[in-house]
Amino acid sequence: MTTIPRSLTYQGIPIWRHVRVLQWTSQIVSGVVAVSLVVWFFVNIGQAIQERNIPYGFGFLSRAYQTPIGQHFLPYESSDTFLYALGVAATNTIIVAVVGIVLAILLGIFVGVGRLSGNWIVSKIATVYIEFFRNVPLLVQLFFWFYILLALPTVREGYVIAQSVYINNAGISLPWPSATGMGGTGLWLALAALGTVLGVAVHRWQSRRESLTGRTSYPVLYGCAVALLVGAAGWVAVWAVLGEPPFVISDPAPQGTFGRISGGFTASAGLLALLIGLVMYTSSFIAEIVRAGIQSVGRGQTEAASALGLPPMKVLRHVTFPQALRVIIPPLISQCLNLTKNSSLAGAIGYSDLTNVAKTMTQTAPAVSIFVLIMLAYLGMSLTWSLIGNLYNRHIRFEG
Amino acid sequence: MAADPDTMRAPVLPPPRSEVGVVGWMHANLFSSRRNGALTLGASVAVLLGLWFGLRWTLFSADWSVIAQIGGLFVIGQYNTDQACPGNNCFWRPQVALLLVTMLLGMIWVVAGGGVAKRIALGVAIVVAAFAFLPYGFDRMGLDVRVLLLANLPALALGWALARYTPLGTTRWIAILSVATFLLTLLLLRGLEGVPGMQPVALKDWGGLMLNLLLAVAGIALSMPIGIGLALGRRSDLPIVKLLCVVFIEVFRGVPLITLLFMSQVLVPLAFPEDFPLDPLPRAAIVITLFSSAYMAENIRGGLQALHPGQAEAARALGLPGWQTMLLISLPQAIRNVIPAIVGQFIALFKDTSLVYIIGMLDIVEFSRAFIQGNPEYLASARELFIFLALVFWIFTYGMSYVSGRVERHLGVGVR
Repeated sequence: MTTIPRSLTYQGIPIWRHVRVLQWTSQIVSGVVAVSLVVWFFVNIGQAIQERNIPYGFGFLSRAYQTPIGQHFLPYESSDTFLYALGVAATNTIIVAVVGIVLAILLGIFVGVGRLSGNWIVSKIATVYIEFFRNVPLLVQLFFWFYILLALPTVREGYVIAQSVYINNAGISLPWPSATGMGGTGLWLALAALGTVLGVAVHRWQSRRESLTGRTSYPVLYGCAVALLVGAAGWVAVWAVLGEPPFVISDPAPQGTFGRISGGFTASAGLLALLIGLVMYTSSFIAEIVRAGIQSVGRGQTEAASALGLPPMKVLRHVTFPQALRVIIPPLISQCLNLTKNSSLAGAIGYSDLTNVAKTMTQTAPAVSIFVLIMLAYLGMSLTWSLIGNLYNRHIRFEG
Repeated sequence: MAADPDTMRAPVLPPPRSEVGVVGWMHANLFSSRRNGALTLGASVAVLLGLWFGLRWTLFSADWSVIAQIGGLFVIGQYNTDQACPGNNCFWRPQVALLLVTMLLGMIWVVAGGGVAKRIALGVAIVVAAFAFLPYGFDRMGLDVRVLLLANLPALALGWALARYTPLGTTRWIAILSVATFLLTLLLLRGLEGVPGMQPVALKDWGGLMLNLLLAVAGIALSMPIGIGLALGRRSDLPIVKLLCVVFIEVFRGVPLITLLFMSQVLVPLAFPEDFPLDPLPRAAIVITLFSSAYMAENIRGGLQALHPGQAEAARALGLPGWQTMLLISLPQAIRNVIPAIVGQFIALFKDTSLVYIIGMLDIVEFSRAFIQGNPEYLASARELFIFLALVFWIFTYGMSYVSGRVERHLGVGVR
């Protein structure tokens, strides 16, 4: 038997068999490899920047972007800076994400409950919906909706409903509230926010009373009434004091020879196709999550609730769904993230989301810096969704 | 019916007519209550209206000629155009690659012992062979193309016989041959300088469904081991390894694939020396694979977490070293438990291959879109075209979830 020289042992064990030595070696090796790879990349990027005269840094952010952005929710002119343009693009992404998620969750719950329905036809319709929209690439769906919208007649020959809704291949134009003066509008918005807070407080108060005393207290009714009353009173007060209402309805109207529509709110074909596609696609995933959540609630719960005489909708609303939420929330958060990230496909159908604008920007600004910015933006959005979801998750866990 | 004279008990009556058979089924599933009945009627009317208008549109209004016009180009994209393959005689190469795949399917059929493998193998071969009889003129679809399509049936038989009557019919050989088939396919498609009939075709000219499938297969095959590695790294006690894995996973999961792909085109060429041989296509393949591995890692981590610690403890108590415990005890059970999530990730990966349009590759979706943009007379048929594409993708993805369901049942997941 060969003896191992003492220098190759640690605590009497050969070093290539000593767990702690092996662990530390592998840690150090992987750390060194990772760090040197990153350093190598950065050295290469630095060299490339110097040798190929590639612009770098963040000085471009205060320059004028000089490029139009298709649909935008914040006011935007071509003379605005890169930084502001990025903000406009990020707002575009956030609005699509928020509206899309709200709609997708509503549709997803509807379809998911439908799939569990005791009614054979309804459950089969839901199954077909889920299996189809889940299994087809989002890009194909987006193109499908986009080309359907593009096949609508032109603005001049498009459909007009009641002289206020215009449907054509440029999108859909709707009447939209338009702020009159900053002072009155701001004041009323503050009052409306106050009303909402009061309404929520009244709702809480009444539901507490209901659960403590058992007397029917109509929390939703009272809450809504308080919020509406405060809002309406504020509206009248602002109108009476300042002489103009905080908002007026702006009707869309075609103008000029090409019939460009001005006024109101126009959702471009790209935005509509993106929303329809994202909502259909994501809702099919959410439906499956909802179904799995509802199925995870023990059958005894449903049976006990039915035995107490609750009708099926109340069983779902008060017994099954609140318990299912705990299973539903974590995967639902990741669907919110997915929808936000999937909205980056907008570029393919001409909606100016963050990725699309950033892609255009790389032609006139340093690509490296722009990528750093949009990666941070997306990571920030992901973290925000996780935060919201986790807070809500904690909220429902405490109540349970 | 009279009472039983022996026991004087009331006779056992058959269930009422309204509770058995078709009527009973309808009562239970369609008309169990007044509300349910109304729902049934409403839904039926909606379905019938949908079917009526859908069928009327499909059969009479829709113009499906764009599908016939693109035809085989759905599969190969611009691979066989003048500019990609001078002489336009490269079509046989993807076809021969398909023959190899069919052969492999025949072998898998034997090794898997029939079942779903048999159905898939037979289905693929028969459908592909049936394409040989498409009613195109011979100037559009030559005899050679048709013969090579028909040859899929003998290829299947050959693979079956090879596995049945030679020692090649083992799992190990199937694994080796799968890798070999993939590499051969790449070689066939890429071509070899100096070999007659095998003129090189640039990677940027690969396209069509072929491209989607290649990216998906490479991604699936590689993202699994990388994902396992990342999952183990994230669960390890070594802080540095854990930190690296967490950062990698969270960065790749936090950013949209399309942003990563675009970055791979703009940033990666800067990060490597100028003469580094890395085409856009392999770059995209690497990005898709890494993106998918990050998600895969989380799935597998979930499976490992759900595993009872007693399993690993028992294995350690039996004297298995750590790596064997992981490889033979923990991982197989963990993966088995998360098969649906893993297959879901495979499906997502296959769907995501349509995003390579961002780097200018013409996969089946982008090729079709470019086709109608380039031929405005077909612009009005965009709906038909995208419905067709949706069906193509659906067949593949639904096939994947079908196979996974069968495998799950075979492994007895959920049944202990």
